[in-house]
Amino acid sequence: MPLVEAQTLPGPAIPVKLWQALSRRLGWLGVAAGLVVMVAAIPLLFVLYSSSQLSLEGWQALWSQRLPGLLGNTLSLAVLVAVGCFALGVSSAWLVARRRFVGRGLASWLMVLPLTIPTYVFAHIYTTLFEADGWLGRTWLAVFGESVAIPELYNIWGVTFILSLAGFSYVFLLVRTALAHSNPNLEEAARIQGARPWQVFWRVNLPLLRPAIAAGLALVVLHVLSDFGAVSMLRYQTFTLSIYLQMNSRFDYQGAAGLSMVLVMLSLMFLVLERFSRRKQRYYASAQQRLAVLRPATALEQVLIWGWLGLITLFAFGLPLAWMLDWSWQAWQQELIDMTFWGYVSNSLIVAAGAATIAMVCAFPVAFFHTRKRSLLSTSYLQLSSIGFVLPGPVIALGVLSFILAVFAPLYGGLAALLMALVVRFLPLAVQSQEASLQQLTPSIEQAGRSLGAGPLENLRRVILPMIRGGMAGAWVLVFIDALKELPATLILRPTGFDTLPVRIWIEASEEMLELAAPAALMLVVGTLPALWLMMRGEKRLE
Amino acid sequence: MKNVLQRLLLVVLLTALGGVAAQADELVVYSGRKDTFIKPVIEQFTAETGIKVVLHSAKSTALLNKLRIEADRTVADLYISNDAGNLQTGSKLGLFQPVSTEIAKVIPANLRAGDNTWLGLSARARVLVVNKNAKDIDFIKSVFDLADPRLKDRLAITHSSNESFIAGVTVYMLSEGKEKTTAWLQGMKTNADNKLFSKHSKIVKAVADGKKDVGLVNHYYLYRHLAKYPDAPVRILMPDQGEKGMGVAWNVAGIAMSKYTKKKAMAEKLISFLVSKTGQTTFAGANREYPVREGVSAAAEIPPAGNYHVADVPMSALGTHRIETLDLLDAVGMP
Repeated sequence: MPLVEAQTLPGPAIPVKLWQALSRRLGWLGVAAGLVVMVAAIPLLFVLYSSSQLSLEGWQALWSQRLPGLLGNTLSLAVLVAVGCFALGVSSAWLVARRRFVGRGLASWLMVLPLTIPTYVFAHIYTTLFEADGWLGRTWLAVFGESVAIPELYNIWGVTFILSLAGFSYVFLLVRTALAHSNPNLEEAARIQGARPWQVFWRVNLPLLRPAIAAGLALVVLHVLSDFGAVSMLRYQTFTLSIYLQMNSRFDYQGAAGLSMVLVMLSLMFLVLERFSRRKQRYYASAQQRLAVLRPATALEQVLIWGWLGLITLFAFGLPLAWMLDWSWQAWQQELIDMTFWGYVSNSLIVAAGAATIAMVCAFPVAFFHTRKRSLLSTSYLQLSSIGFVLPGPVIALGVLSFILAVFAPLYGGLAALLMALVVRFLPLAVQSQEASLQQLTPSIEQAGRSLGAGPLENLRRVILPMIRGGMAGAWVLVFIDALKELPATLILRPTGFDTLPVRIWIEASEEMLELAAPAALMLVVGTLPALWLMMRGEKRLE
Repeated sequence: MKNVLQRLLLVVLLTALGGVAAQADELVVYSGRKDTFIKPVIEQFTAETGIKVVLHSAKSTALLNKLRIEADRTVADLYISNDAGNLQTGSKLGLFQPVSTEIAKVIPANLRAGDNTWLGLSARARVLVVNKNAKDIDFIKSVFDLADPRLKDRLAITHSSNESFIAGVTVYMLSEGKEKTTAWLQGMKTNADNKLFSKHSKIVKAVADGKKDVGLVNHYYLYRHLAKYPDAPVRILMPDQGEKGMGVAWNVAGIAMSKYTKKKAMAEKLISFLVSKTGQTTFAGANREYPVREGVSAAAEIPPAGNYHVADVPMSALGTHRIETLDLLDAVGMP
């Protein structure tokens, strides 16, 4: 008798019941994770909606005219950059984690410092340096003479060069941490059995490092797929640039959304493959961990090690820094750095810190839910939360903008829209980082806490959170670094007249006011240093 | 103490998140024009009227997209773009409202929208820059000569997503027809050999350094370079002159008033200042462009506007035919 039932059920009880049913089924964790994922998926809904408006002819035109070229360009770039980052990241991480040499601590720093430089700044600096009267251009002419043309950066090799320098640090960080954690017994056993060092590397280290390398390269590839700065400065047509042009010079949202859909499919396929390839692997730190004894490097080795690391540093950080300092000095002398400049600095810090904090909190339920359940649902949550990373910044910005205007119009005009876009965009970084550290959390530790009488919340507060503090800090730092550098979404969503450092760099650099762009780029580096220090300190404790 | 601090923080946070309505005596301008070129005239306006102006700078096209999505929620009172194509597209999308005829009439009719929903403020000419020492370039009389095989590897052009490039192609397409323009683009593509320039300033530099012999640029890049390096061996070449020439392609930077502005009177004040004699001198002068109001003279070093023949294409056509041009560029596969 539905009527009677309806009478006995007071109105508000229905949502409460629904909530109870949901939380019984999923737990509070699952519900919280679901909410986060729903917000993260907003730009995807925007894309789905807009591309559903695309006519069949429209799809056919995209399919036949644009897609083949774009797919070729984008995929080949992703592969080349992954190879570049693998070579730079794994070699440097192995040297730092397995050899003792003078200045090892400094080397660790030098390998992560490139993270402080946005890709559009890299691209801008290197195109300037490679001009005939730039530092590298002149050096080139002095060495090779006029007969060998100075390398052009406006092609796939130039973009690969820039994006490899800008991205290898992710591989370095993850591989170095994994090496520091990995059990030295295995390597020693291999050595005792007569394996040579390179055999140990290929047959013991590399297989064990697979998750770390895969995660690092996944980060790199996702950065490549969503990069806007370098490809737009170097005019290399990838999906992101093409989507931007479709939207901004033709005002064709549907075409742009159609291309975005293909990009999303591509990226999801890649993510699923990446997860699938390591689905059976579980790595738990053994209970009694012993740290690897670092082999001291011989004098010759020291020279070779520093030769290699020095070369990487020179291109990935030294030259760009020197360029920034040179032009900043000229700005300082011309007294161009005034109060408004410091306003840009504080705007940037507020936005980046806000986005990092929110992302860190939001990522936790998603990562934790997945570590606990490892179900189809939790995996799809994980994939959906990665959406932000695979959609181009301008598309995310428009999605968030449309959503806020339609649903929370009064919030529009302030920082909310910008923060939301940044959180959606960089949530995957936070989730990845937290998930990685949650994997280290052996189930037995958690069970021990529970068996000693701690409730779930107390267990969370006293056992889990302290154990994954490193991962939480890592999540915050990774998001902070990327949010501080973010350009396309910030350009569209910042409150009126609210300029941040990337926005200023972009404006000044497009006017070729190098003396004004350089101090802003330099402040990005300086502003990121404390965050890096936090991350490196967390790492150091492990050694 | 801690409580008070927390509460204060909360209040600050909430206002920041929710956004603060623009002040009553403030105008918000979405500006696609480079900061350095718009700031002088804005400062002059504020000094004269006491009306503050908030400049929100980004690419013209991105701002137009923003206006379109924001619709009646926009805080923008005015929109400034470097390209007539964008302005006309905005008019077509119904984002602007007409400026009163009183103000508009000082601008020549071909340099503003038919319904006065946007006004041109300054004009730039699409010219050729040539190296003074370059040999075998005397045959170049028209931009269409840039497709001549003799210029293989000697030509400098920007990539085809540059707004000035697109606008120029639209003018040539409307003057000389699609077929001729297509053949021309193909010839230039071969001549430039996929080595395109990201910026006009780099084209002038390459020509000055003798790396290239001829380049297609907006006129002021040439004079900006000469102001820095007075001895640079470059000169201007006005293409398509003479009786049968189609004339030089022009494009304008201009301003439009948002349909949803709540400060129409103040917004019109800014517009009428920009088209006034003082405003015109500062606005156009900042970038060595041509003031569009008659009787205001341009910078002394640039060729006076009346001395050469300008292509007979109304600026609004740069918007109405924009998609056609883009399709043409795509069909050629212009990089």
